[in-house]
Amino acid sequence: MPAIVVAGLERAFGEFRAVQGIDLAVEEGEIYGFLGPNGAGKTTTVRMLTTLLLPTGGRASVAGHDVVSEARQVRASIGVALQEAALDPLMTGRELIRLQATLQGLPPVEGRKRADSLLERVDLAAAADRRVGTYSGGMQRRLDLAAALVHEPRVLFLDEPTTGLDPVSRKTIWEEVRALNDDGTTVFLTTQYLEEADQLADNVGIIDNGRIVAEGTPSELKAEVGNPHIELGVGAGAVAEAERVLAEIGKLLPPKDGKRVLVEVAQGSAEIPRVVRALDEAGIEVESLELVRPTLDDVFVDKTGYHLEKEEAGEESGERSPA
Amino acid sequence: MEAAAASSWRADLATIAALMARAKNELIRVPGAAIPGVLAPTIFFLGLNGVFGALTQLRGFETGSYESFIVPVSMLQGAGFTGAAAGVNLARDYEAGWVDRLLVSPAPRWVLLSGNVLAASVRALVPATFVLSIGFAIGVQWPGLDGLLICYLMVVATAAVAACWGSMLALHFKSQSAAPLMQAGMMGLILLTPAYAPLALLQPWLESVANVNPLTNVLEAARQGFVGSVSWAETWPGLVALAGLLVVLGGLALREMRRTNV
Amino acid sequence: MSDLAATGRVVRALGARSIRQTFRRPQLISPIVVFPTLLLAIQTGGAGAGIELPGFPPVQSFLQFMLAGSMMQSMMLAGNSGGIAFAVDIEMGFTDRLFAAPIPRFAIVLGRLAGTAALGLFASIWFLAIGLIFGADIEGGVPGALLAMALITASALAVGGIGAAIALQTGSASVVQGLFPLVLVVLFLSSAFFPQALMVEPARTIAEYNPFSFIVEGVRGPIIAGVDLTQTLEAVTAIAGIIALGLVLSARALKHRLRVG
Repeated sequence: MPAIVVAGLERAFGEFRAVQGIDLAVEEGEIYGFLGPNGAGKTTTVRMLTTLLLPTGGRASVAGHDVVSEARQVRASIGVALQEAALDPLMTGRELIRLQATLQGLPPVEGRKRADSLLERVDLAAAADRRVGTYSGGMQRRLDLAAALVHEPRVLFLDEPTTGLDPVSRKTIWEEVRALNDDGTTVFLTTQYLEEADQLADNVGIIDNGRIVAEGTPSELKAEVGNPHIELGVGAGAVAEAERVLAEIGKLLPPKDGKRVLVEVAQGSAEIPRVVRALDEAGIEVESLELVRPTLDDVFVDKTGYHLEKEEAGEESGERSPA
Repeated sequence: MEAAAASSWRADLATIAALMARAKNELIRVPGAAIPGVLAPTIFFLGLNGVFGALTQLRGFETGSYESFIVPVSMLQGAGFTGAAAGVNLARDYEAGWVDRLLVSPAPRWVLLSGNVLAASVRALVPATFVLSIGFAIGVQWPGLDGLLICYLMVVATAAVAACWGSMLALHFKSQSAAPLMQAGMMGLILLTPAYAPLALLQPWLESVANVNPLTNVLEAARQGFVGSVSWAETWPGLVALAGLLVVLGGLALREMRRTNV
Repeated sequence: MSDLAATGRVVRALGARSIRQTFRRPQLISPIVVFPTLLLAIQTGGAGAGIELPGFPPVQSFLQFMLAGSMMQSMMLAGNSGGIAFAVDIEMGFTDRLFAAPIPRFAIVLGRLAGTAALGLFASIWFLAIGLIFGADIEGGVPGALLAMALITASALAVGGIGAAIALQTGSASVVQGLFPLVLVVLFLSSAFFPQALMVEPARTIAEYNPFSFIVEGVRGPIIAGVDLTQTLEAVTAIAGIIALGLVLSARALKHRLRVG
C-alpha cells in the first residue's frame, strides 16, 4: 500500500485556492520530491498531510490513516521537519530531542538512548549540552532532523530542509536523507532547488499555482522536454534580431534575463557551427555560447512558461522568472 | 488493553511534566525575566496601601489594616499577570513555529494545554510569595495556616484560569498583539470586585458588577484569613467559582487548540 | 530669520511624522488611554466612599477628584511610549538618517516630542469628556478646562523629554519599556489618586515633595474648585523644572549618541 495517497486534495483560504485538487501517490521507501516556486502550494500541501491544516476538499492518507478522521494515528507515524526550524533557543539540543521523545510517547529510558544516538548520528554530540540559540543554521537543521527521527517514523516530511544553508551543510543533509531512505524511511521532501530534487528524489511532482503540472522520475520528466538547446549571450539590443535569425534554424525557447537567447537543437552540438554562422552573417556578436541538456528547470518552463531558478547572483532562487 | 491505557496515562503525564520543565527555562535561563511579573503586583500592593490606606477609617471595614485587606488582591493580581503571560508566551511560540512541533506530535491536545496552564499555576507562587513576604514585613496580619493555604490555593487556581484565558486568545489570534487583551481582561476581572473596599462601600455600579463577578468569591475566600477567621461558608463559593471558570475557559482554550488546523 | 523658519519647518515635519505614527497605531494608543480609563472606573467605584473621610477636599464626586490623576497617568504613559518610539527609531537606524541631514540636532528631539505632546492633549480631552459624560462638572468652566489641558500638554513635553533622553542614552526600546513600572511608582507616591494629607506614611511625606504632586494639584484645582494662581504657578514651576532636567539629560544623551553612533 502506498505510504501517501492524495486524491483531489484542496485547500482554500477564503476566495484564494492555495491547493487546487491535487492527486499523488508515494510508495513505501520512496523519496518523493515536491518541487515548485514560493507560493506554489508546497507548504500548504505538507501542512495538510501532517494534519496541521484541514483540507477543504479531497482526501489524503498517510501511513494508511486518513489525515482528517485518523489524525492522531497519522501523527504517531510521521516525523516532520518544517520550513521554520521551530526550535527553542533556551533549550539545549539534548533537552529538545528528549522532549520530542516524550511528545512521541517514548518511555524515558528509551527516549534518552535514542536521543543520544541521534545526536551522534547528526554530529551534534559535542554541542548537545549547549543552548540551541548558540547553534549555526546548519546545526539547527540537523537537530530538527534528528528530532523528527526520534520515534523512527515510517514517513518523514521535510519542508525545504536546506533553504538558507551553505553548500556544505546542504550536502550533509542530503547524505542524511539518503541514509534514512536506505534504512527504509519514506521521505516526502519539498524543495525549490532543482538540483536537490534531481539528486535525491526517486519521483518528482512539480506544483505551480496549487496544481501538479508534471510528475515522474527526473529522467522521465527531462526526456519529455526532449531536445538540448543552445544558450547564446548577445548584447541586450540584439536579442530580437538574434531570435529572428535563429527561428529559421530551430525552435525558440523563452529568453533568459533579457540577454540570452535560447534555441532548441535536435542534433545537439552538431548544430553549433550553423547557429554561429547564421548570427555572424547577420552581424550579431556572440558573447557566450553553451550547449545545455534538459534540466528540471526546462521541464518547469515547458509546463509553466517560467524558469524556476535565475542564474544571476544575488537573486533568491525559487522566485519565478518570466520566460 | 489496561496496560496500554496505563502506559498512555504515563506518557501523558510525562509530556505534561516535560512541558512544565520547559516553561521554567524562561524564569531560570533569562536574566531578570521573573522581575516584571513580581514587580507589578508589588508596586500595586505598596502603592495602593500608601494611597488608600486611610479607607479603613470608614465604617464597614472589617479590619483596621489596609495592607491585610489588600494583600490578597495583589497576590491574585500576580496570578493574573503570570497566567496572562503564559498566553503571551504561547502566542510567541506560535509565531516562532514551536507550537507546530507540539501539534504534529501524537500527544492529546488537552495534554499540551495542561502543560502550559499548570506551569503558570506553579510560576504564580513566585510573585504571590514575594508580595506576601513584603506584606508581612510592613504589618500584614498572619492569616493562620488554613487561611494561608486557602489563599495560595486561590492564587494557583486563578493563575490556571488566567492561563486558560490567555491560551484561548493566543490560539485564536495566533499573535502576540493580543497580549494587551490578555492582561487587561484579567486585570478587569480581578479588580471589578471588592478589591479596594468591602462590597457595601463600593459605588452602586461596581457593587452590582462585583456581585455577579465570580472572582469576588475567589477574593473573599483568599482574604478571609487576613481580615478575620476562616470558614467553609466563605471558602466553598470561591472553589465553585474557580471550578466553573476553569471548565468554561479551559473548554474554550481546548476548543481553540483543536481548531488550530481549520 | 530664514534659519529659524527652516528649523521650524523641520520640527513641523518631524512633529507631523511623530503624530501620524502615534495615531496610526491603535494598539499603541489603547494602553495609554484604555488602561488609565479602566483604572479610573475601578478606583472611582472601589474607593469612592473615601470622599466621606474627614479632611477630604470638598468635591462633587470621587470621579471629579480622580480626573486629574488619570490625565497624569495617561500623560506619563504617553511620555514612556514616546521614548519607546524614539528608541525604535534609533534601533532601526532612522535617526542616523536625521543626524546625517543638515538640520539642528535639537529639532530631532523637538519633533519627537510633538507626538508626545499631542497624545497628552488627547488624553486631557478624553478624560475631561469622560468626566462631563459621567456627571463631573469642571468648576473652573471653560478657562479651567483649557488650563488643565495646557498643563497636561506641557507636562507631556516635559516627561517626553526625559523619555527621549533615556532613549538617546540607551538606544534600546526594551530598556525604555522596562521603565514603565517607574511611572506607576511616581504616581502612587504623589497626590494623583488621593489627597496627600490622607495618604499613609511614608507615601504621604514623599508625595508632599514630589513635583508631580504639584502638577496634579495644578490640574485638579480648576476641575474641583476653580482656577487658583498659586496652584497654577506651582504646577508651572514643577513642569519647568522637569523640562529643564529633560533638556540637560537630552543634550548629554545626544552627545553620547553622536559619539557612539
